[in-house]
Amino acid sequence: MIFKRTKKQARFVGGGLVLFQSVEEAIAAEKVLRANNYDVKLVAPPPQLRKGCDLAVEINIVEKAGVERLLRQKDKHFAEILPVKGVGELLDVVKVKYFADACMVKAGNMKLTFDKNTGVILNISGGGCPDIPYLHLSMVDKKITDVARPKDKGHTLCALMLDRAFVEALEIFRKETN
Amino acid sequence: MLLICGTIPQADAGLVMGEARFNGSKLHVGNTEIPCTQGTAALVSAACIVASHCRINAPQVIFAGDTGSGQGSRLLYDYLMKNLPQLSPDILLLHYILPVMGLMKKVSKVTEKCSKKPVMIADASSMYAAKAAGLAGQFDIFTPDLSEMEFLADAEAIHPAYISHHLFRAEIAHIDELIEAAYRQKSMAKTVVVKGAIDHIVQDGKITFTLDRPDLPQLEAIGGTGDTISGMVGAFIDAGFSHYDAAIKALKANREAGQYAQATPATKISQIITAIPKILNHN
Repeated sequence: MIFKRTKKQARFVGGGLVLFQSVEEAIAAEKVLRANNYDVKLVAPPPQLRKGCDLAVEINIVEKAGVERLLRQKDKHFAEILPVKGVGELLDVVKVKYFADACMVKAGNMKLTFDKNTGVILNISGGGCPDIPYLHLSMVDKKITDVARPKDKGHTLCALMLDRAFVEALEIFRKETN
Repeated sequence: MLLICGTIPQADAGLVMGEARFNGSKLHVGNTEIPCTQGTAALVSAACIVASHCRINAPQVIFAGDTGSGQGSRLLYDYLMKNLPQLSPDILLLHYILPVMGLMKKVSKVTEKCSKKPVMIADASSMYAAKAAGLAGQFDIFTPDLSEMEFLADAEAIHPAYISHHLFRAEIAHIDELIEAAYRQKSMAKTVVVKGAIDHIVQDGKITFTLDRPDLPQLEAIGGTGDTISGMVGAFIDAGFSHYDAAIKALKANREAGQYAQATPATKISQIITAIPKILNHN
């Protein structure tokens, strides 16, 4: 099979790979992503990252949340989404800091602070991707049990880190109010 | 001229350009009112206050509407690649823009065509893109918080979400190790302003200033308190201060504004911003 490379495709470096079990899955996913304005490129994954087939879709890894959601919505199967370099797993360590009536949960570069008594999200800080101000507006001053998960509305790795903080915060709030 | 580029959380806003005006509670660019929230809007608001205080022109701004899809960010990258030489700002401050390494490389390259290479400042995702693309050395100032400093210290991470666990477990006491690692692998701008429980200014890999008073741990919870520092740094440089002095003035003003506003974890960034003029006028 021959894949024609355009100049644009050849220059694109996104730092992330969507891995598949079959070539057909990779081609179908690439088509869906491209139709939805993602910059993508069909590539051969390095041997250590291969999951079943020797074709992967390179993406901008920062857009992992949006890519993952779109592929699931379109019922496009994939094995995994990984960065090309470095640790393969998202940071899963969270830190918790208590203030008088508030609790701040920190995951990576994202922090979510909520009122321990009411569960109202008081602030979201940190991060830098453009969905964070949007998530900030849609979540702050609302009760943590009443808002959508950041990973369901965000597009980026910052949104996934905020999601980690959110899940932990929700668990803490539920434990403290039970 | 200080040119600030970033995004606002309005999906269909396109590009909004012009001189920023902040009247103490509302931010306008042209006829567009921008909600003064966490992110580039907070950064621009703080920069406007400093510009007014120093009696210099307000910053020029290019906002792109983007809620995370990256479409607005790509419009912004494209605009900069086409128009930066003509704009030729003295200072270019890049902020919340979807990190795309290839596009950041092109923007960085285009700055060489400006009449004089601008002072390059990056915060938030623009700093992520600059570091991931190996462009840190092209930048004059980065303004990370501690977790972003951990990211700069991780040779392979291309976003703070992928930093090594051992680095994330590091506390402020180990910041000298993070700085040394980041400097060794050329992930540091010439001046790095690390915002945290203890603020640090790092120049050419050496800590040259620290600040821990007033001690306000609650500022970490308030979204936008890092943005205001970055905005003030840019505006103080535009007013003629050295990078070092601009950073010190911004760090001090931010903490004192937090104290003046009697900040709690529930305080909104607009309340801190409102306090900044009072602090600047008092000092």
